[in-house]
Amino acid sequence: MIAEEPRVDATRVTELAQSLETELARLIVGQKALLRDTVIALTAGGHVLLEGVPGLGKTVLVRSLGQTLSMSFSRIQFTPDLMPADIVGTNIIGDTDGRREFHYQAGPIFANLVLADEINRATPKTQSALLEAMQERTVTVGTQTRPLPSPFFVLATQNPIELEGTYPLPEAQLDRFFFKILVPFPSEGDLLEIARRTTGDSTPQLKSVADAGAILTAQRTAREVPIAEHVLRYAARLVSATHPDRSELDSVRRYVRWGASPRGLQTLVLAGKVRALLEGRYNVAFEDLNSVAQPALRHRIFLQFEAEADGITADRIISEILEHTAKEPASK
Amino acid sequence: MSSLEAIVRELRKAARRALGARYAAHALVGAVAWVAAVMILVRLVPFERRAELAVLGIPVALAIAAAAWLIRRPSAALLMAMADIRLGLKERLSTAWERRAESGPLDDAQRHDAVQHAARASLPAAFPVRVNRGEATLVAILAIFALALALLPNPMDQVLAQRQADRVSQARAAKAVADAKKKIADSGKPSPKDAQIQKILQDAQAKIHEADSPRKALESITPAEQQLQKLADPGTPALQSSAQNLANALSGTAAGRSAAQAISTNPAKGAQSVRDLASQLQSLSPKDREELAKALAKASQQAQNSQMRDSLSKASSSLQSGDAASAAQALNDVASQLDSLQEQENTDQAVAAAINGLEAARQGLAAQADRDANGQGGQANAGASPSAGASGNGNGTGTRTGTGNGNGSGTGNGTGTGGTGGTGGTGGTGSNGSGTGSGSGAASTERIYVPGQPVPGQSENDPTPLGPGQDVPLSPYTQVIEAYQQAALDATDQSLIPGSERDLVREYFSQLGEPRAAK
Repeated sequence: MIAEEPRVDATRVTELAQSLETELARLIVGQKALLRDTVIALTAGGHVLLEGVPGLGKTVLVRSLGQTLSMSFSRIQFTPDLMPADIVGTNIIGDTDGRREFHYQAGPIFANLVLADEINRATPKTQSALLEAMQERTVTVGTQTRPLPSPFFVLATQNPIELEGTYPLPEAQLDRFFFKILVPFPSEGDLLEIARRTTGDSTPQLKSVADAGAILTAQRTAREVPIAEHVLRYAARLVSATHPDRSELDSVRRYVRWGASPRGLQTLVLAGKVRALLEGRYNVAFEDLNSVAQPALRHRIFLQFEAEADGITADRIISEILEHTAKEPASK
Repeated sequence: MSSLEAIVRELRKAARRALGARYAAHALVGAVAWVAAVMILVRLVPFERRAELAVLGIPVALAIAAAAWLIRRPSAALLMAMADIRLGLKERLSTAWERRAESGPLDDAQRHDAVQHAARASLPAAFPVRVNRGEATLVAILAIFALALALLPNPMDQVLAQRQADRVSQARAAKAVADAKKKIADSGKPSPKDAQIQKILQDAQAKIHEADSPRKALESITPAEQQLQKLADPGTPALQSSAQNLANALSGTAAGRSAAQAISTNPAKGAQSVRDLASQLQSLSPKDREELAKALAKASQQAQNSQMRDSLSKASSSLQSGDAASAAQALNDVASQLDSLQEQENTDQAVAAAINGLEAARQGLAAQADRDANGQGGQANAGASPSAGASGNGNGTGTRTGTGNGNGSGTGNGTGTGGTGGTGGTGGTGSNGSGTGSGSGAASTERIYVPGQPVPGQSENDPTPLGPGQDVPLSPYTQVIEAYQQAALDATDQSLIPGSERDLVREYFSQLGEPRAAK
């Protein structure tokens, strides 16, 4: 027999993810896809942009996630008067041994888990400070650059309505989010369950199921998941098909202004690897890529005005691409 | 051997089976399509070996499919990927196979996982042996279509039957010519021009055989007849007339009676008898010599041939002057001319036989050509056409220029019944010159010529085809009609003249006989 015991215990990643999902599900009613995508992004080491109308539990989700992970958690409420220093911290004058000197006061971004609530309400300058930290995973104040704690996971939320007085995130900054997850309105059954769970005399208390070390190990393990060449080519074809000048789909050529970046491909493959692990598999399958394509690509496809006029969404474009992109078998 | 290779081997075996069935289905489609195409083709183009052509496509299609099946060997990676998709193994096998030599942190686990899932799956199910419904439907449709085409009447059948009838007709015509050649060779009366006649017949036979159609074959007969006619000596009738007049004249003499009988029998015997007479001149009585001299003088006066006339005149005058030696010499010259006549008659008979053979060939070819023109070629020969039930009738007219020494014309119409081939009409054929010639200038008499058969007892008869107003002795037809009728009926019995044509000949003579009886 070929198989030997794997050197990396991938099953622990699977168990970790399943524990997280189970624990979160105690408080978050329904929203299985939301939970799954959030766990995938966390395991892949990416940041998440949550979009949904107020009251759907975005903030609860992030807070619950903080409770289930034994990691530092901070919440930043983005408002128009929020300044970059309010996020990344600043140097303040302090008294040390009778001497006055500047001390760095770390901002709320120095946490493993950061909730950037209503990110589109802050000014671009402030948004940029956060997004730069998300990308570089370091913060530079004055002349000193400080690393952020690891793992570093940002969950930003934004409200698709009430757009007055907001500052929509530019395309380049949207691209830095690993996933953009849409938070759907709960079903009627889920609504009843939410009412039952949250209006009684007690609310479920979540327990911690993982620490930073476990998450980091999971992130490293996820990157080791093998992917076959023809599956990788399929991922590349998916990303390529989002570009109007390369796609054979009329809808893409007509409605898409700009397609997904190479970072979108990286996201697709990495998320596919994590999902494979979460499914108890050690290789990436076509269905993994298809499953993560929407959250990985929807914020990376920029539509024409015509699409908005015709009610065409990025999700619909992605669905068409998934439907029409061939899964060619291996040629070797 | 690793488990992955065992999986590949098992998948390959299943794939070979599935591919074999698929290519067999392809071959079946190809074969049936070929047969259907042939069925369509033979309805557009006359093709005789249609069954062989249709059957030929089946092994060809099978061979191509088998070759393709042998050549096409899917790669192991492809087999694994297809098994992944068809067995729902979620790219486990293809990933494991692709990374079979890798030693990453999760590669062993991945291979183990793949082998485990493959063990739980039925690998041959990835390549099931199944019949494609579309192909099966196509085969059924094509087969029904081909069968319908095979069973429905094919318009090209008539064309093929016509071709077959044409070939049979040409073969028969060629055989008629060959028979004429054999008849001439076996006649026992050799002539110096036999070789030329045989050559002409041989060429004609070859051309008839090789011609594209009966009509083309017909075109080769007339030149051959013209060549044959050139071989006949135009002076023969005059010499024959002179010989007959000599026989008539000698028959009234005591010394020359036996010679007269010999000349009437045939010129060769006559020549010998005349030589005998010449050698006996010395022993003849003066009265016999005188009687003989007169008979020779009379024959000399009636002779059409100048040499014969001169020789007879010289013999007569020498006898009258008592110069037996000169008379004997002159009679020997007459004997030589009789020998020459024999040769000429032999040649004419051979020419006539050859022409008769060609005419027999012409009749068959002309009839078939007429049927072809009327679109009834397939019904020409009983049993020659495979199609049954077709019927038709026809009539035709024809005119022939007579060969030899006569001019003939005739018209005919008739109907014929051709065995299983249906009913077909025979076109009218003109009589040839050697057969039923009829003059147009004489009101009360007819000049009639029967080749090689001079009318006995009619020394005045002039068989040459001369026009009206010429000062030549003519015989009343009532004296020759019976002999001619017998000769004509004998000729119709021996040749390939159809029954209806024979009836026409009999009717013609019966009509001629009625006024004679009335007289």
